[in-house]
Amino acid sequence: MNSANMRSSSFLSFSRQYLLSIVLIASVTALFFALREALDSTLIALLYLIPLGMITAFWGLGPGIISALITFLTFNYFFIEPYYTFTVHHAADVVILVVFLIVAVVISQLVARAQAGLEAAMAREREATQLYELSTALTGLHDEHAIAQILAKQVHVVAQGEYVELNIVGTDPFAFHLPDIIPLTRLPELILPIEAARGVIGEIRLWRATPAISSNEKRLLQTFASQSALALERAWLAEAESRARVLEESDRLKSVLLSSVSHELRTPLSTIKAASSSLRENEVSWDSPARVELISAIDDEADHLNMLVGNLLDMSRIESGVLNPKREWNILPEILGTVLVRMRHRVGEHQIEVDVPESLPLVPVDYVQMEQVFTNLVSNSVKYAPEKTRICIRAFVEDESIHVQVSNQGPQVPQEHLERIFDKFYRITAADRVTGTGLGLSICKGIIEAHGGRIWAANVPDGLAFNFTLPLIWDGVTSPQLPTDTEIE
Amino acid sequence: MNNAPHILVIDDEPQILRAMRTILTEKQFKVTTASRGEEGLTLAATNEPDIVILDLGLPDMDGVEVCARLREWTQCPIIILSVRDGERDKVAALDQGADDYLTKPFGIEELLARVRVALRHSTRAQGAQNKVIKAGAIVIDLAWHIVKRGDDEIKLTGTEHKLLAYLAANRGRVLTHQSILTHVWGPADANHTEYLRVYMRQLRKKLEDDPERPQYILTEPGIGYRFIADE
Repeated sequence: MNSANMRSSSFLSFSRQYLLSIVLIASVTALFFALREALDSTLIALLYLIPLGMITAFWGLGPGIISALITFLTFNYFFIEPYYTFTVHHAADVVILVVFLIVAVVISQLVARAQAGLEAAMAREREATQLYELSTALTGLHDEHAIAQILAKQVHVVAQGEYVELNIVGTDPFAFHLPDIIPLTRLPELILPIEAARGVIGEIRLWRATPAISSNEKRLLQTFASQSALALERAWLAEAESRARVLEESDRLKSVLLSSVSHELRTPLSTIKAASSSLRENEVSWDSPARVELISAIDDEADHLNMLVGNLLDMSRIESGVLNPKREWNILPEILGTVLVRMRHRVGEHQIEVDVPESLPLVPVDYVQMEQVFTNLVSNSVKYAPEKTRICIRAFVEDESIHVQVSNQGPQVPQEHLERIFDKFYRITAADRVTGTGLGLSICKGIIEAHGGRIWAANVPDGLAFNFTLPLIWDGVTSPQLPTDTEIE
Repeated sequence: MNNAPHILVIDDEPQILRAMRTILTEKQFKVTTASRGEEGLTLAATNEPDIVILDLGLPDMDGVEVCARLREWTQCPIIILSVRDGERDKVAALDQGADDYLTKPFGIEELLARVRVALRHSTRAQGAQNKVIKAGAIVIDLAWHIVKRGDDEIKLTGTEHKLLAYLAANRGRVLTHQSILTHVWGPADANHTEYLRVYMRQLRKKLEDDPERPQYILTEPGIGYRFIADE
């Protein structure tokens, strides 16, 4: 009830407290003196207990006892006959003095205890609030840096430190400090270890010269440390778990890859082995057409093997994020032209229709990687669409990007598979029907996305179309202007 | 044949060395092999080969460095062997003075064609430059700045002519983007690959029968261009 008074009393100097006590007793005495005729001396003694109690309650035991003595003397002097002497006539008057003293002591004790209890309760409440705030802030955090940041902030706020530094020694040690100033050169006033089940995982270093860090504060900070240790451990566990999941997934993919790859690699190898061994055994006469056939089979299959290995390398590069397109301003029809010339034997009986206008602006792409995209899309169409059907390649500009479409008259793909055909090893038809690594389209996706573009498949009335877009703006620049060249020989 | 051209092959893979030795010896070349860079440099110094075939992936030193060290004292043609996607290394070696490259795995006819071009180029460098170059129906007169298809003169702009002249003078050889840009536009424009793309396209439209399927000006993806002339 009097917490404000009690707290403000601590700011008063000792002498002021004593002075105020004396002033209070004096004014009360003056009041009583004025009413002396109307009041009985026993009643006055009783009334004196009010200021006495108040003084003790407000200002503590010292002023209380002094006031008790003064009260006794003034009471004796002014209100006990004979007046204006300090002579004590009755033993009962001594009892009054003793009562005054006892009242002062007992009240001061009670008040002190209540005050201590109240302060403790408030401190506990404050600690609980701070701890609650910390643990709320830490909930759901899975990033060790974020956890360290929250902890440092809370320690800084709660301890009102000049400087707080956190050192976390996890798998990847790091330090965090507040405020963002040059570290203090002197040693920290407090170093608290952050201990987890597996040992010390870091420490809190706190600089605060004044006021000195109390044991209560230290205890609270220790609780902070253990809360954060729990949060850090939780974060690390979650990370380890997700890493384990990723590993498991990549393990599964690797075994799929291995089985797919070994099958794919063995097929051309078997052809090569069969052809070369029969040539070696002289089973085929030197001038027979079979010999030429076998030799070209070896040659073709070696190329096929080379392409498979290339695809695998591309895929691993995409997966590990080191594809890094070497972008330059290129002419799309030129890239497409090179691809079509190189693929002319593989296209077979398919008709290729190209509608890629000369007027297209230059596109900022990696030449070799775009060749790869066109090669994979065209060869996918060649593989799945029946012979003698049309494969159309067209390109046009659309909203500051270039839109390319490679469509074929092959089987349509059910809606639910359209997204997934760009996944690794994803096949709609049974694996034995079509050869390939199942990587071609996912390589396209990796390359297009590394260029900041988008690729998707869609069913068109008579077949399937692959679409991709590529941004025409590179580093904030559109297609460059060329120096003029008017001088004619 | 006593005067058989001498080829030094530097590659760390024994199977490749074995195949190269067999094939090249069969084709009447004199063949020396080395499996390490230092060994290759020593052999090049003692044997003075007519051509060096150099693999970029050597165990003891970088192939680009071998190339640079050879160029310190010899102008003999160097043909680089490298794997696919090694474009940056290939370009680095070509800019260090290598003459040509082959991507592993390669066909033997490709290798022999490169060797022939390299040999011809090195003898040409010693003798007088050919002033009139023929490529199919195209005739390029470097001295008179005239380009003709059959009897019709083809009008070229100044830059186009400079470009074609540089390509034709180095016919058969691969020229990196940077070397063409530096030579035709100047060192300040050495990174403007787009100039090259656009001018090559214009040139192809004027020279080639089908610009989409060029026969004379070939693109070497990620590396540069190569001009194919008659032998």
